[in-house]
Amino acid sequence: MKTKKMLSMAMALSVAATSAFAGVTAFAEEEEDYVIKVGVICAMTGGSAIYGEGAQNAIDMAVEEINASDSEYTIEILNGGNVADDAKDATEAVNAYNSLMAESPEAVVGSFFSTPTLAMAELAADDGMLLLATGATNVDVTLKGDTIFRNCFIDPFQGEMAAQFASEQGYTSAYVIYAKDDDYSNGLKDAFVESAEALGIEVLGVAECTTTDTDFTAQATNAVASGADFVFYPCFLDTVPLLVQQVRDAGFEGAIMGGDGWDGADTTGYEDYFDNCYFTNHYSSEDTSESVQNFVTKYTEAYGTDSLNACAALYYDAMYMLLQAAEDGGGSDTASLVAGMTEMEFSGVAGDIYLDENGDAIKPVVVNTYEDGQIKWLETIQPSA
Amino acid sequence: MKTARSSGWRPFSRPHKRNAGNCIVQNISESVHCAHFPLISHCAKVSAMDAEASVFHVCEIKIPAGEVKIVSIFIQSLINGLNQGAIYALIALGYTMVYGILRMINFAHGDFIMVGAYTLFYTVPMMVNHGMPAWLAVIAAIAACVVVGVLVERIAYKPVRNSGSISALITALAMSLFLENLAMVLFGANPKTIPKIFDLPMIDILGAKIQVKYLLTLGIGLAIMICMTLFVRLTKIGKAMRAVPQDKEAATIIGINVDRIITMTFAIGSALAAVAALMYCSTYPRATTDMGTMMGIKAFIAAVLGGIGVIPGAMLGGMILGLIEIFVKVYIAPGWYEAITYGILIVVLLIKPSGILGKNVGEKV
Repeated sequence: MKTKKMLSMAMALSVAATSAFAGVTAFAEEEEDYVIKVGVICAMTGGSAIYGEGAQNAIDMAVEEINASDSEYTIEILNGGNVADDAKDATEAVNAYNSLMAESPEAVVGSFFSTPTLAMAELAADDGMLLLATGATNVDVTLKGDTIFRNCFIDPFQGEMAAQFASEQGYTSAYVIYAKDDDYSNGLKDAFVESAEALGIEVLGVAECTTTDTDFTAQATNAVASGADFVFYPCFLDTVPLLVQQVRDAGFEGAIMGGDGWDGADTTGYEDYFDNCYFTNHYSSEDTSESVQNFVTKYTEAYGTDSLNACAALYYDAMYMLLQAAEDGGGSDTASLVAGMTEMEFSGVAGDIYLDENGDAIKPVVVNTYEDGQIKWLETIQPSA
Repeated sequence: MKTARSSGWRPFSRPHKRNAGNCIVQNISESVHCAHFPLISHCAKVSAMDAEASVFHVCEIKIPAGEVKIVSIFIQSLINGLNQGAIYALIALGYTMVYGILRMINFAHGDFIMVGAYTLFYTVPMMVNHGMPAWLAVIAAIAACVVVGVLVERIAYKPVRNSGSISALITALAMSLFLENLAMVLFGANPKTIPKIFDLPMIDILGAKIQVKYLLTLGIGLAIMICMTLFVRLTKIGKAMRAVPQDKEAATIIGINVDRIITMTFAIGSALAAVAALMYCSTYPRATTDMGTMMGIKAFIAAVLGGIGVIPGAMLGGMILGLIEIFVKVYIAPGWYEAITYGILIVVLLIKPSGILGKNVGEKV
């Protein structure tokens, strides 16, 4: 009996030792393979498929460059080198994330929209997986866990930058019209008002509207009567022509500004109304800085300009950020990547980025204006703080 | 690149010397003025912040000329309200005429405006390309709306005309949804921006900047209302229109073609919807497939408020509705306008159930 017990104990010990040893080997292997295994997620189908196309091209380009460079690390894209599809949908995003997890990635990049990213961020926080979101600007994304980062700005940041722009351009008083039934609009409004007051711009009034309103004549009348020289309207593209027309019709001659929600607003027939209008955005292919122009030239040669959008630039940057995280963190495993990514300073296509304590990017913002109704890059402004 | 700040930007002139007496006067108007802001608390915050720095500064920036501002805000809001009211009134006319003759609420009427707006979206650029004034596109819009209106009446409403009011109501709702979804299939779900229709100047009345096109809308609305009143009162068809709802059978006996009169009523109502679409699009240049729903409900309320079935009532109801909406937005808070507008409707109907100009006649048995 006693011998049997001793024997079983010895066996148990040896099993434990073997598994511990195996664990060490596996860990050691990860340390030394110098391959960053990355799963990438974006919307590849549906109405936003053009973003996915840009993302795929951009990561192909970035990975080819990185693997051909003399860096000791290389990047391997899982899922056979393809971007996994989230179809801009939370459920699909979770499916895509789980299918990538089966290939045990060391980092996951994506997604471009807030809704699918929020769903994935929840899972990534539980798994301790490094998630580098690209275009998801919703504040809550990075608050889900310490391993979640993004290389785009958050919604309120645009409000801050709009106030900074107004201040730099010499505007002294502002009137804000925002949609009270929309989170994005509220976030931008709050940040704008706070920053504007801090910068010495008087906020002469804050007027509400809703996302379904078509009549802004009352708000326009008050805006003109307030004597403000700057109107901030952080809402989405469909009502932008309505607002701009009605505010101008009420006799307003100052600047009207919005956030990236303005991108794509239809100016046909109202080209002159859009003079002296501005909006902030992530990136502009017209940006004259060297990093942007190099990227634009190379991308255009390989893939044309159809999918050359902000999404492509952000996914391209994401690959280089992972490379830098591996170099700074001293390894290609998830823990080292997270260490390297935390409070990272990075210089890429979409500008110089600093990741703050939440993992949100503090980065320059592109300011676009209109010329004959066409969107035109005006300048790229650096956050002053 | 800072030079891009082009047209229209001018810095505020801030004279440093101001006499104290003047400032007190302005401070009084300032407190009145503050009430114009939707977020009063916010306004107070700004003033409090500035009070530390310089009281004079506050006065100068906010009220370049206190009383003039108050008057100009009022005039501008009045014109804005009448402009919106005239649009509601034109649509309400269509509701009221159909109700007057059929005792039926045509919920698809709002969608006729949508048909008109999409027609304008396609025909305005054609007019401009051929060197014609853009507003002539309204002829195409009237034609399209009349065709749709008459077809809806003939295909959907006529067969259920004698099956009771619930059947007619449900058919009208179904027609509304059908038209909206048909438009979505045909034109896509994206909003369409309608090019500029009127290129009219802006005039300055006591500091208020008034768009001439708003006055035009108001004028057209009033003219159409007067024409319709005279038409119904004086012409033979008008008399027939009044005779039909009184007694359909008797009207038939004296030789009125009831079907023809009803079709005619729908045609006129739809044509008015097309004119309303033109006026709407000159102020709010956007066509969406669901634009008819909200406009239809508002105009229906205007018709009920003024007294449904009464033509001047539609005009009055529309104007009141438009004015209340704009004044609530300007003087109380933009977020409150729908609650207050409909609250007033309920109060009016409690006091006078038949509407402001409605006659209190019991339904015939």
